[in-house]
Amino acid sequence: MAKNSYFSALKEMPANIWHSIFRNSLPSSDLGRAQTSFTNFFLHIHPVKVNRHTVKPWYTMGLGLISFFLFVLLTISGILVMFYYVPSTEQAYDRMLDLRGSVAFGTFLRNMHRWAAHGMVAVVFLHMCRVFFTGSYKKPREFNWVIGVVLFLLTLFSSFTGYLLPWDQLAFWAITVGASIAGYAPIVGKDIQFILLGDTNVGQEALLRFYVLHIAVLPLVMALLVSIHFWRIRKDGGLSRPEEAEDLTGEKADSLSDWPKELDVAPTPATVAASAAVIEKKQYGIQGLVRGPFTKVGNVPDKSVFSWPNLFMAELFVFVVTVAGVLVVSLLFNAPLEEPVNIAHPPNPAKAPWYFLGLQEMVSYSAFWGGVGIPTLEVLILLLVPYFDRTTKGVGRWFAKERLLANTLFLIFVIVNIILIIVGTFFRGPNWGFVSPW
Amino acid sequence: MATAKKANTSNDELTEGQMTRRRVLSWLSGFGLFGSAVVSVFSNLVFIKPRATYGQPNRFSIGKPEDFPSGTRITLGEHNICVVREGEKLCAISTVCTHLGCIVSTSETGFACPCHGSRYDQDGNVTGGPAPKALPWYKVSLAPNGELEVDKGEEIAAGTYFNA
Amino acid sequence: MRLALAIASFVILIVHGLVFYNQFFHKWERHQTAYFDQARAMAKTDAERAALEGRSPRIEQIIVTAFGEKRVDRCTTCHIGNDDPRFKDHAQPLRSHPYSETLGDRQVNGLWERRHKFSDFGCTVCHDGQGRGLDTFDAHGEDHYWPSPLLGYITQNWRADFKPKLKNKDFMQANCALCHTEENFKSTPLVTQGRRLFFEKNCYGCHKIEGLSAGTLGPELSEVGKKFKPDYLWESIVEPRANSATSFMPKFNLSDEEVKALVVFLKSRRGINFSETSLDRYRASLNKGKTGQFAGATAETTPTAEPAAGGSLVALGEKLINDRSCLACHKLGNRDGGIAPDLSFEGLIKDEKWMMDHFREPRSRVSDSIMPTFNFQDSEYQAMTSYLASLKTPPALGDPSGIFSTLCARCHGDLGNGKGMIAVYLDPYPRDLTKAGFMSSKSDERLMNSIKNGVAGTSMPAWGRVLNDDQIRGVLDHIRKNYVKEPARQAKGRPVPETNPVTSDAASVKRGEQLFLQRCTGCHGKKADGKGPNSTDIQPRPRNLRSADFMNSVSDRRLIESIMYGVQGSAMPPWVDYGLTQKDIGDLVNYLRSFNKVKQ
Repeated sequence: MAKNSYFSALKEMPANIWHSIFRNSLPSSDLGRAQTSFTNFFLHIHPVKVNRHTVKPWYTMGLGLISFFLFVLLTISGILVMFYYVPSTEQAYDRMLDLRGSVAFGTFLRNMHRWAAHGMVAVVFLHMCRVFFTGSYKKPREFNWVIGVVLFLLTLFSSFTGYLLPWDQLAFWAITVGASIAGYAPIVGKDIQFILLGDTNVGQEALLRFYVLHIAVLPLVMALLVSIHFWRIRKDGGLSRPEEAEDLTGEKADSLSDWPKELDVAPTPATVAASAAVIEKKQYGIQGLVRGPFTKVGNVPDKSVFSWPNLFMAELFVFVVTVAGVLVVSLLFNAPLEEPVNIAHPPNPAKAPWYFLGLQEMVSYSAFWGGVGIPTLEVLILLLVPYFDRTTKGVGRWFAKERLLANTLFLIFVIVNIILIIVGTFFRGPNWGFVSPW
Repeated sequence: MATAKKANTSNDELTEGQMTRRRVLSWLSGFGLFGSAVVSVFSNLVFIKPRATYGQPNRFSIGKPEDFPSGTRITLGEHNICVVREGEKLCAISTVCTHLGCIVSTSETGFACPCHGSRYDQDGNVTGGPAPKALPWYKVSLAPNGELEVDKGEEIAAGTYFNA
Repeated sequence: MRLALAIASFVILIVHGLVFYNQFFHKWERHQTAYFDQARAMAKTDAERAALEGRSPRIEQIIVTAFGEKRVDRCTTCHIGNDDPRFKDHAQPLRSHPYSETLGDRQVNGLWERRHKFSDFGCTVCHDGQGRGLDTFDAHGEDHYWPSPLLGYITQNWRADFKPKLKNKDFMQANCALCHTEENFKSTPLVTQGRRLFFEKNCYGCHKIEGLSAGTLGPELSEVGKKFKPDYLWESIVEPRANSATSFMPKFNLSDEEVKALVVFLKSRRGINFSETSLDRYRASLNKGKTGQFAGATAETTPTAEPAAGGSLVALGEKLINDRSCLACHKLGNRDGGIAPDLSFEGLIKDEKWMMDHFREPRSRVSDSIMPTFNFQDSEYQAMTSYLASLKTPPALGDPSGIFSTLCARCHGDLGNGKGMIAVYLDPYPRDLTKAGFMSSKSDERLMNSIKNGVAGTSMPAWGRVLNDDQIRGVLDHIRKNYVKEPARQAKGRPVPETNPVTSDAASVKRGEQLFLQRCTGCHGKKADGKGPNSTDIQPRPRNLRSADFMNSVSDRRLIESIMYGVQGSAMPPWVDYGLTQKDIGDLVNYLRSFNKVKQ
């Protein structure tokens, strides 16, 4: 008998291990679906139910999530690359050659890190555009928008600090140019440049400082802000959505009939009972402490769906697509590695990283205005936008008619910046002269 | 979603075929992701194991046999080996103490470790002190260009000489 | 969505698989396996077999710290048979490195012994390339960005017309010379030849190479071999403007062989050569400063003899002119560098004082001359001056057209269009004699005066010392008839004050300066040196108004006339039409005179 029980224990071991880790089997009831969210360490940041509008793929396009997943990928690949990197002017470039030459998977990891970094700059910017064009920065989400803008700047700065680390000509001169742009700030500009570089020129000190910023300071600050950013999403009542999505009377339900049918979950007696049980157990007590709108649970006839599986599958999909994209790009294209640094022989033209080429283009007209004045103004305006624009009309819809003016202004801002970057990238040749790329 | 449906579609909106299709797809996804994770973890282990070291290489040339006349007992500090030649017999003995890795010095009677007083005889066998085992011997061979090569990657039994 | 998810998951898995697979199949492993197999088959003795026992493919490397920065050469990972004489006839990468007496290898008891052991030197110190790379593209330096591709083998994506010339193992001599710095080292004939050419072709006059020359006109070349690849060096020698649009370096007439020697020599200049210590270099620099001499020039030529008296001074001068490569640019008798003026009858057209001044500082006499200031000793200048002053044999002259082709065509060109053989190296350019606008607006007297007395501050000499008035008249007629092709117009009677109407004082100079800054700087430049922003687009170039010799040779009347009514055939407009009064022009002239006065 005992033998048999050992045998059955052995037989059940995989299942037992599985269940000790994942307490719930794949949920088949609303209770189970709810528990998926709040019993899983990684998933419990999610609400149990989200508004159906939240999982509309073309509303967010998953841009925020992509940014986050890229950040995760960057952290992992960055830590791995750190095993072989030495922040020394004498060794850094040789280590790059080793990554390319003798280290297993070295090239691939460096490619991943490089392309994910470029991708993150782009995606974070697109995410910001999405939030603006849907009016999602409005009350009560003003502060989250501010955090987002700060995160965007930190992303740029992270990418910029990482740019120097290979210590090749591309890195050295891009940082020289970029740091000089910072030097144009009035009064404190030279000090900022000096503190950043630790010297009057880009050299060993700058490499060490950029390294510390890149691997420790900035990622930590970003991780903290990302956490707050996520937390605020829930505390601010989930993703933004149009008023009619909140509408519980069902009057406008028809206009929403084009939503995916499969997301519609009609309450059944079973779910109602289960939900009631959940409420009895006060599993949501913590939410009760939070003021303001929060996710509805139970069998209230609302427009929400369970996070499992609707939201989680979407997130998994975004994750998989992001990873696949980065992998494929890394397989196809190698990260650039130019000549080792030659302080006496700058490339012509010496260009900053692409996302700063708009700045460099403006700097070529006016050093102060292009490099400091206009960018500072732009950032200030971005930060203050939710405090200028107080109407709550047109939230939750792309290019809402009520927001024509704001959207047009922002669109102009985006297009002008993109044009400047394109001009700086493709149309500028030796001596910053105008050249035709074809 | 499949599971969500399963709970709520008692009126059979889905056919069995669709069900299996979904199940197959989710198994495939799971297999792809899980497989990738395994490969990726394994790759990362391969990644952090260096293929080429940054110090001196394991196999190195120490010069021609004529450079070590009979009776030689010379320590090559750079490589931490002691080259011994008696008559035609030549060998390379490690000078890294087997106790805790200090560098032993040659003495009248063999080798002596300055750190914790381990003593070895001339063949590297322990004669005193805390050392747990004898100093290893490394393989010596004659390279095609006529020079002696020592391979620290290959330990050989004490008393195995190279015949110069 | 599930389908897409499954597909994306599989994409991830496939990429993982591909990358993983790629990491475990290397070419170098195959090379090493092939080596082991063949070596085992060839092994004759037990020792040979024992040596191969237990060997399995792995990354081989040689770490060299003796030569400057730490080098990690993994070349032997593929070229694993490099020091195995049994593999001397194999195909690369297994072939063993050849033995050569040029490299210092010698035979002992019938066996070759290397002078440069690979375990001490590594590979890249001689061959260049990228020691850390493990596939041929990286390791051989085929990547465009790699600064030192395998010397003489890899030409990256260099210019098609240079490529074949740069593929030759001779180029490796440049790396030999990093250690073997001694002159005339027998194994590096190209470096020796290049060094000789560096002095023979007068490169030393403009370019500085630490320890060899002290020129300041051109870029310093002490580290040129470290900064540039051979193709850049080659291009810069044969087409100086290809890499620097504003270069005024002449195109020397060099054969391919000579260019190659120069490239090899320059490639060997990497700043610090391994056999020198920094202390040695510092001592050398101290000693150099003391004697005021640069080592190379005197070392290359015979040591400067003490100038003796009289006739031997002339002889010494002649020797110096030959040794110091003056004729790499100038013409003297039958020898012609094709870049600078003819010195064959210099004694006739220049006096000794002019020559001495010009030697000491060429730009004191011809303000925009490209002739470098050589750091010779005064006694040497004296000797060279004596020699040049003794060249008083007038050239054989014939009819006016003969005179023109003998004396004028070198600068003004056979067609009189100012595009003579050496014209591009002269500043101001020679006058375009076909430009009727200018030529016919000037009186015969003025033009004849220019021929007779020369144009001060330019390369136009005073031909009056060679030609008599009739001959000068004949040449002018010849020019008018054949080149201008337009009769001289009677100068219109234009009111021009004979003297400056405004007396020169500080206030007037100040007003003149203001006017100049407003009106003239676009062409004549802020410094009035004729190098304004528009100057390069103008033919003839704007006058250098800081050329004291020129300014002192022209009268106030001529300056005023040129400003008031412009210079026909040039870009100088009649300023009287643009609102300048005579008083303004007087102020301007006072301003221009004010900074040329000093040298009068």
